[in-house]
Amino acid sequence: MTARLLQGSDAVARSAIEAGCRFFAGYPMLPFTDLLESMARLMPAVDGVCMNAESEIEAVNMALGAGAAGARAATGSCGQGIALMQEAIAEAALNEVPFVVFNMARGQQDYFQATRGGGWGDYRTLCLAPKDVSEAVEHTQLLFHLADRYRAPVMMYGDYLISHTYMSVEVERRDYGPRPAKDWALDGRRGGTGRSRQIWTWAMGKANDPGPGPDRHWQRIAEKFDDMGRVESRWEAERCDDAETVVVSFGTAAAFVEQVVAELREDGLRVGAFRPVSLWPFPEAALAEACASASQVLVFEVNAGQMIDDVRLSIGRRIPVRPLGRVSIDFSGMRQGEILTVPWIRDRVRAAVKEVAVK
Amino acid sequence: MQREVVLTGIGGQGVQLAAKTLAMAATAEGRQVMMSSHYGGEMRGGQTEASIIVSDDRLRPVPILESTWSAYVMHHRYWPGVAARLRPGGLAVVNSSVTGDELTAEGAEVVPVAAGDIAAGLGSPMAAGFVLLGAYVSVAGLARLESLVDAMKELVPPYRTQHLAINEAALRAGAQAGTEAGAARAGSEVGR
Repeated sequence: MTARLLQGSDAVARSAIEAGCRFFAGYPMLPFTDLLESMARLMPAVDGVCMNAESEIEAVNMALGAGAAGARAATGSCGQGIALMQEAIAEAALNEVPFVVFNMARGQQDYFQATRGGGWGDYRTLCLAPKDVSEAVEHTQLLFHLADRYRAPVMMYGDYLISHTYMSVEVERRDYGPRPAKDWALDGRRGGTGRSRQIWTWAMGKANDPGPGPDRHWQRIAEKFDDMGRVESRWEAERCDDAETVVVSFGTAAAFVEQVVAELREDGLRVGAFRPVSLWPFPEAALAEACASASQVLVFEVNAGQMIDDVRLSIGRRIPVRPLGRVSIDFSGMRQGEILTVPWIRDRVRAAVKEVAVK
Repeated sequence: MQREVVLTGIGGQGVQLAAKTLAMAATAEGRQVMMSSHYGGEMRGGQTEASIIVSDDRLRPVPILESTWSAYVMHHRYWPGVAARLRPGGLAVVNSSVTGDELTAEGAEVVPVAAGDIAAGLGSPMAAGFVLLGAYVSVAGLARLESLVDAMKELVPPYRTQHLAINEAALRAGAQAGTEAGAARAGSEVGR
């Protein structure tokens, strides 16, 4: 297969269809709109359904319904619209309906929203943050696989640079083995038999077929998220082995940090880059290990300081952890602003390295 | 080998279409390509810019360019911001029908091509963007003329096929003009 020039949104849409996604619903809001438009263009050819919903709340509940019926389903928005979707995402996590949420965020200010969630109950949302279009293509298929495997809603944290950048990419079907049987799906086949299936957040069951009830049901779900936390964290560490300074960043910002680290290494500075590929589960142990020889950790994120909490939880008080980014949005309100450039980051990492050397 | 081009102009000049054509042509030739666009909500008259990175091997993907090896300049309004990013030894191919002959860039070569006049001479002033694109690749490389023609045909939507012939003529006339303007200068090995 040869590479094609595709806009990020289009590449993600094609990858979702390769993954077997046959239901998509969304409400337009940039920079998510392009993904909705691509889905609308591509779904008819595979007998799939793409709905332009009347709101984000409607869209996410459509995805929940399609997921409950057994389809590989997805929805999406940017952080503002995902705020509206929180209730349905929490319900889906607690009643175990898999679907994918594509968060084409307006920058990096929705890290808390993506990793903590705003719904109710003891739930987590697995979240992958690609650094570029080709990784977004890969993550898309992985997310559908993980959603089904764990029967849970999962999320991609993208942004304008993922959604709107064109890249020469190959969109190929990835093999994650046989799909798990959906013997829980409400596909209508038991209608009228008196043995109809049920998907219910509180798991009370029916009078003639009682369920485990919320106590046992939610304990089991909490154990499931514990298991996911143990095995599903993903990360990338570059030049961390002998690094005195480790710079932590996520998503598209990490591509800039990687370049800064490569340039500063050429100048002889012992810096490394660490990137959580999964924002939840956050790769705590891997980060602690990557910082084993470091005397300081810098956190570059284009927000007021959100991921830095997870960095501190990972490495404790052993090494100073300093924020490097700040709030920075461009004139359109949709993209990261002036700080997301190689020179801005390079100057500040260099200064921080020198400061530590002086001490 | 990695080369960059920043395309600048004002909305309506076909800058984004030219960028997509070049990026698609370079992809078809088997290169690694990244293209990002920046433009305001206005369809016409506002700032429009695209940047393309072309590489023979693995691309280091940072979509906001700190500096660029070359520029494609349809209009001078946003030129200063581009000139500041142009590296010494680089090159800018400019639409002198609009910019005049006054544009300069420190340490970089400016190649004027009267793209607007050439397009008007072909009977389609709208095709000036393709004239300048033909000129750009004949000077800078990055993609072959025939690949541009194929990419343009793929990009033009079915309801605009009446423009295919004139667009192709514009690309070819531009390539000719670029060659005459002195293609032997700072051409890129990437496109050769």
